[in-house]
Amino acid sequence: MILLEPLNVVIQTTLAEKCIKPSSLDVQFVDFDNVRFHLSTPDRKTQLLLSMNIRCWDELAQYGAVDVLRREYDSLYLATPEPDYHVSLAIDLEQIPPEGEARDSFINSIALLKRNALAAPFEQAFKEQKKLEISGSNQGQLMQMHYRDEEAIYVRASADRVTVIFSTVFREETDRIFGKVFLQEFVDARRLPTIQNAPQVLYTNRDPPLELRGVPGLKSSEDIGYVTFVLFPRHFSNPDVASSTISHIQLFRDYLHYHIKCSKAYMHSRMRHRVSEFQKVLNRAKTEVAVTERKTVSGRSMISR
Amino acid sequence: MSNVLRPYLAAVRSTLTAALTLENFSSQVVERHNKPEVECGTSKEVLLNPLTISRNENERVLIEPSVNSIRVSIKIKQADEIERILCHKFTRFMMQRAESFLVLRRKPVKGYDISFLITNFHSETMLKHKIVDFIIQFMEEVDKEISEMKLSLNARARVVAESYLTAFAS
Amino acid sequence: MTTLAPIICDNGTGYSKVGYAGNSDPSFVFPTAIATRGPAAQPSRGGPTVPSKPGHLASKRGVEDLDFFIGDEAIANAKTPGYGVNYPIRHGQIDNWDYMERYWEQTIFKYLRAEPEDHYFLLTEPPLNAPENREQTAEIFFESFNIKGLYIAVQAVLALAASWSSNKVTDRTLTGTVIDSGDGVTHVIPCAEGYVIGSAIKHIPIAGRDITQFVLNLMRERGEMASVPPEDQLKIAGKVKEMHSYVCQDIVKEYRKYDAEPDKYFVKYDGENTVTGKSYSVDVGYERFLAPEIFFNPEIYSSDFLTPIPEIVDGVIQQSPIDVRRGLYKNIVLSGGSTMFQHFGQRLKRDLKQLVDRRLDASVVASGSLQRSSGVEVDVISHKRQRYAVWFGGSLMASLPEFYSFCHTKAQYDEIGPSICRRYQIFGSAT
Repeated sequence: MILLEPLNVVIQTTLAEKCIKPSSLDVQFVDFDNVRFHLSTPDRKTQLLLSMNIRCWDELAQYGAVDVLRREYDSLYLATPEPDYHVSLAIDLEQIPPEGEARDSFINSIALLKRNALAAPFEQAFKEQKKLEISGSNQGQLMQMHYRDEEAIYVRASADRVTVIFSTVFREETDRIFGKVFLQEFVDARRLPTIQNAPQVLYTNRDPPLELRGVPGLKSSEDIGYVTFVLFPRHFSNPDVASSTISHIQLFRDYLHYHIKCSKAYMHSRMRHRVSEFQKVLNRAKTEVAVTERKTVSGRSMISR
Repeated sequence: MSNVLRPYLAAVRSTLTAALTLENFSSQVVERHNKPEVECGTSKEVLLNPLTISRNENERVLIEPSVNSIRVSIKIKQADEIERILCHKFTRFMMQRAESFLVLRRKPVKGYDISFLITNFHSETMLKHKIVDFIIQFMEEVDKEISEMKLSLNARARVVAESYLTAFAS
Repeated sequence: MTTLAPIICDNGTGYSKVGYAGNSDPSFVFPTAIATRGPAAQPSRGGPTVPSKPGHLASKRGVEDLDFFIGDEAIANAKTPGYGVNYPIRHGQIDNWDYMERYWEQTIFKYLRAEPEDHYFLLTEPPLNAPENREQTAEIFFESFNIKGLYIAVQAVLALAASWSSNKVTDRTLTGTVIDSGDGVTHVIPCAEGYVIGSAIKHIPIAGRDITQFVLNLMRERGEMASVPPEDQLKIAGKVKEMHSYVCQDIVKEYRKYDAEPDKYFVKYDGENTVTGKSYSVDVGYERFLAPEIFFNPEIYSSDFLTPIPEIVDGVIQQSPIDVRRGLYKNIVLSGGSTMFQHFGQRLKRDLKQLVDRRLDASVVASGSLQRSSGVEVDVISHKRQRYAVWFGGSLMASLPEFYSFCHTKAQYDEIGPSICRRYQIFGSAT
């Protein structure tokens, strides 16, 4: 598995199961980036309530997340969410599409809840870029999403592009160094002819990029870095491309951290192998101690230790 | 093996072989104790002169002989940040498993990355030249392993970045 | 800052149960299997093939180790050319750390979709696990995954905790005897105040797999399996075991009941040939009560293991220190899928009570009828969460607010090193 899926597997499997056999349930689970879900049947077995708590909801709501969710989920979207959660969907199992493709795509759309909520600012930025291009004015508003405690996503539309900036913090020395190697490759990878069309990636350590100058609350320390993705109109020219771009770019941080962890796991297996090789070399040094069986007069053998 | 490395390893090999002349020696300070003298250092007269073999400022070996034990400390080449962290990870991983390595010290001597402690009990139960072989082979391969790990990390990062960015283009 | 729910990972020999604390059921239950490129499991534990030269083709790609499947997908890919299925856990203990590390990697990122840096983890280990294994586990979780905190609990202790959900349990104690019967092996484990009494543990080589095999043998003997395609027979036997089996109180009476009114007791099992789609039906009879009977009368199935389970339990308790025996008799807890048979608990309780009473009577006689015992209370606890008892116990424990103080955190690990995980504080004990 190289790429991460935008779908939430827990929602997907649980819903698929409940569609076939409704039963009461009350489960809580999470998704990447501090997103908490609560799936329950408060009233009856066929009435599911899926609630989501997402850290940067206030910011998302400001950028039109409610409209996006209303568009995606229509009547499922509840105006007043469950207490302690930000978004609630009511799913009536008696009114789901019949088994087959329709149902699968229905379930998948629900499993994309987090993705859709986070998509709002990106969609807005894409729209804004179109407007700016026509009006010829310079820059749109800078949208900030503090999606994790120490990290944030910044989106800004300009006349010819949309800039997405991730601030990244590495809590550990190893991660920081591995992260640097990875990010450097992201910057360099565009040289390849096959991915010339990919967005341009820039990476700066410590100092925020130009777009973020003057934004209050930016911390300055050695372990903070900024990754800038420059999305050109071709990345969101038609709705399909735009939506896949959004799903993809949202998971950047998780993707990066996933691969840092995978590399560490790979290093571990290499080291295990190498250490066992060394072990063999050292074992060759051991002299064979002649084991003579010692017996008592009555013929019982003694076992040492 | 590069030609520069060969004399370095040859020097370490002959020094180690010469230094591995150990005998059983009970502690002069505490009755009924038998400790590696190089570690406790309580009787100065049984310690021999320590010796450093240095290939360059980043790579050197410290050999500290004594009557019943010798301590070999190795500083491994670390060209940059990545090699430093990989080296640190690798030596720590190995020292974590010191139990099965017998001659490996759980902590390196200050200023070095990894240390071995060979006592007379080791040299009595193991073949002396094979112990030396082990240390030489370790020195040879640890450099290779670290640079291979670095290469594979870079290769991985490239594939990861490419796969991520390719997904945009499609 | 809100802390996210801890993740509970119970990796067993056959199945892994993973999910979030606070829930009553694991989010995922799938086989502890990993399908990797290359040949299937070989008993030798060779490391990954390190490319001989740095310029080698394999190292150029550099990500072959991400090409694998776990769980149900691994089983589904077993037949795909180029993949081989491996089982990283053997007899409850981790056998291949490379596979296990990758197995965890995908469990966390693909299935749980959690950023391990934000979560505490509760893992389980079998009784008498070597402390080195704990260290290696901690090394993987803290160094590869950077998790926030880790607690490694003994499965038997969690099974005891799970029994607190039963309304029969009044005092929440961690003293008791756990009968843990999964697919491969059955353990009888005495625990005192959260500590496993290692010297008294007994293993019984009869578990789920044997029961299924026994059902299959019985049905074949009666000729019921004739209509079933050979490749489906084992599966049918498993289904029959799960759906129709129960523990009877007396075999002879039960046989008589069946013979008197076969229509009432024989049930039909309908199946469909997976290849041709032809449907068939088999009669299920005596195996309904005979299947779990192999716990109580092993001689009907095996010729080398002959001790019935009540005797084993009694023996285990008698080997434990005398001051905890009352507690062990009073709180016998069932865990694992193979203890799910109806009336299993009652039968065990009755048989065990008989053994205990007989011994008490004998001692009364031996003392010249002068000393009379006040009797020993024997109780077997069955509860709703038996199947995933260990996981559920973990979920209960990890949702307690004290859980976080029992964990070793990343900072502590960095300070002290993996050896910190050799010891964990037992739940509910004083600091």
